Amino acid sequence: MDFSDAPAVADFRAGLRAWLRDHLDEHRDASGYESAESVERTLRWHRALAGAGYVGVSLPAAYGGRGLPDIYEAVVNEELAAAAAPPPPPIGHIAHAIADFADEDLKARVLPGLVGCEEVWCQGFSEPGAGSDLAGISTTATPDGDRFVVNGQKIWTSGAMWSRRCLLLARTETDLPRHRGLSMLVVDMETPGVDRREIVLASGSREFAEVFFDDVAVPAADLIGERGQGWRIAMHMLAYERGPADMGWVGRLGRVLAGARDDVRSGRVTADAPLRHRLAAAAVDVQVMQWHVTRSLANRAADSTGSGGSVDKLLATRVEQNLYRVTADLAGPSFTVGPSGPFADYLWSRAQSIYGGTQQIQRQIVAQRVLGLPRG
Amino acid sequence: MDIQLSAEQRAFRESCGKLAADLAARWHLGRGPHDVASAVPDEAAWSRVAEAGWLALRLREENGGAGASVVDVTVLVEQLGYHAVAAPVLGTVIAAEQLQTWQAPPGLLQEIAEGAVRVAPALDRDLTGFAGTAAEALAWDAAGAEMAVIPTSGAVHGLGGPLPFTDLTREVRPLDGRPVDPSSLTLTAPGDDAAARLDAFALSLLTADLLGTMQSALDAALDHARTRVQFGAPIGSFQAVQQLLADSHVLVEATRSASYYAAWAADALDGRAASRAARTAKAFASRSAVEVCENAVQVFGGIGMTWEAPAHVRLRRAHADRRVLGDEHHHQGVIADTEFSGPADAGRAEADLSRS
Ligand SMILES: Cc1cc2nc3c(=O)[nH]c(=O)nc-3n(C[C@H](O)[C@H](O)[C@H](O)COP(=O)(O)OP(=O)(O)OC[C@H]3O[C@@H](n4cnc5c(N)ncnc54)[C@H](O)[C@@H]3O)c2cc1C
Repeated sequence: MDFSDAPAVADFRAGLRAWLRDHLDEHRDASGYESAESVERTLRWHRALAGAGYVGVSLPAAYGGRGLPDIYEAVVNEELAAAAAPPPPPIGHIAHAIADFADEDLKARVLPGLVGCEEVWCQGFSEPGAGSDLAGISTTATPDGDRFVVNGQKIWTSGAMWSRRCLLLARTETDLPRHRGLSMLVVDMETPGVDRREIVLASGSREFAEVFFDDVAVPAADLIGERGQGWRIAMHMLAYERGPADMGWVGRLGRVLAGARDDVRSGRVTADAPLRHRLAAAAVDVQVMQWHVTRSLANRAADSTGSGGSVDKLLATRVEQNLYRVTADLAGPSFTVGPSGPFADYLWSRAQSIYGGTQQIQRQIVAQRVLGLPRG
Repeated sequence: MDIQLSAEQRAFRESCGKLAADLAARWHLGRGPHDVASAVPDEAAWSRVAEAGWLALRLREENGGAGASVVDVTVLVEQLGYHAVAAPVLGTVIAAEQLQTWQAPPGLLQEIAEGAVRVAPALDRDLTGFAGTAAEALAWDAAGAEMAVIPTSGAVHGLGGPLPFTDLTREVRPLDGRPVDPSSLTLTAPGDDAAARLDAFALSLLTADLLGTMQSALDAALDHARTRVQFGAPIGSFQAVQQLLADSHVLVEATRSASYYAAWAADALDGRAASRAARTAKAFASRSAVEVCENAVQVFGGIGMTWEAPAHVRLRRAHADRRVLGDEHHHQGVIADTEFSGPADAGRAEADLSRS
């Protein structure tokens, strides 16, 4: 049992700390998607972090990563949290799906742009008729010579408005059972026939859209893996999307907690004893979640079920939603009267139990695949 | 980083599990409160405990011990919790570590290690910390113990009869002034770092006992969910039952991560960081274990509410362990005072912002 950094990890950590000391100040507020300016600020932060080599560190070096063990992702999260920095870009899930399934040509074409944060990506899975029941999607990609022709509609697509590429789950074989007829494509969002319509989140944030595909031509070379492999790739990707460090959640929650701590200690915000105790309880949660994520990343290669991410996501959801209930109360009257910042943050925490597969679906995965309970 | 048990630790876990199961099987639970077996181990059981080296595990070699790591000790303790072992191993190990920290004579520690002298830790009346005086103090996990020591005075106290206690697998007993030999010890107060390390050690062990307790509650509930049939289907196929069990599994795994970290930290970090980690782990384990044991009672249905079924034994052990050396409210209170207090808060303690 050893939670301490091996020398190489310690060097990496020290390097990141030094980099943050020199560069963080210009990016302090870069964590929102409420407006065009805040999106621009956030993307600038992502590019700066990527430029310094701290994005996608567990991805192969040939494609813009650093080929480091998974545990380095936890280090990035921990250090960003400790410095109260904005979270890293949430790209680990998409990048791993491509790195683990795409052919060399496609990887070389798209991964450096993704990992370098030069091109923003979105994930086109959910549809109006298929959310939790993802295998029920009806968007089609019909093979046609050296291309596919895509028709259909995606919804709740985060970042679609400013994305250059979309990881698209579509049905290529209509005659096969539903899970087996799916394929995964990379779609250039500037292709004719792609139409995005903004959906405003309840918080007011503008990071979401529905995307329509009307006879959109996608080169056959942009198929990830093979036809019919889409479900497997989607599940692989979701396992990463549920890993709190891959998505920067650990860093984000650490930052929120550190902010609350500073507010209370400096006297900027006054908290009575019950509230201080609730903050302490939230601090216990966040700390345990960090240890847990570190442990699960250190052992991820050996996770035979591939469902460990669901355990981690359920833990992170619980921790996050409790934390934001506490910071909501810490905000005092400004939670309800005044600019909507604290309320918007709280609202966002409610999404944690919805995206990437809802809390109910995660519990089902844990019950059936990890604990082996019978299907109902 | 290497965050798992080593091959030797896994083998040790197995051997501990075997003996723990054996010991637990000798502790038969009766059909009602009036015929519960005593928590006091019989001579044969206690000598097997001593022969297994459990009591000597953590003592340093010069004190007749094996000098094992805290992680090693928690491997054992998790099994004690898993099998709800009634023999007072944990109390003895904690009392021995306290005495070792206070530099008790090696001869006494050796006798404790051999099982010849039986000692229990003296805790405050509310079980929240080590007792500073004998008045109202309670010896915890004291079944069969002959004495408890108040280190600040060096006084050695005999023990009275067991008080009614939630945890059926353990006894608490007052320090009733019955004379013992020796009646006092010459002890030396530890420095701050060693004192913090003792706290970290004890809290890590309680965390591991809670971990074992909750893991066994979950495993038993899972077995029941697979076999109990209602509406023509195993109840484990019903979504509401699955969700309770899935949430329980998440809490068990998170507690396991916390337990590993705290145990590692108790040896590897300085006393302050180690005790902060252990405090955090104990707070999390305390609330999580109760929740998991409650969920297990729920999954058992009516039988879970009976004396005969072991579900309540685990729930009881979880509740008692939760209180011992401070429940989540206690520890979160300390964290609130050290880390989350403003300029206007009375009693603001020196901040502990050391990274752990
Ligand atoms: C902030 C945010 C960002 C998102 N980003 C993306 C994105 O980038 N790309 C993308 O493809 N999707 C995205 N989503 C969509 C998200 O994945 C879906 O919302 C989610 O999978 C749930 O699907 P649904 O909305 O259709 O709800 P439904 O599936 O209709 O579920 C509604 C309710 O029913 C419950 N339910 C459904 N089925 C079951 C069942 N079998 N057992 C028990 N309960 C059940 C659910 O838990 C939920 O509480 C995002 C969502 C949010 C909120």
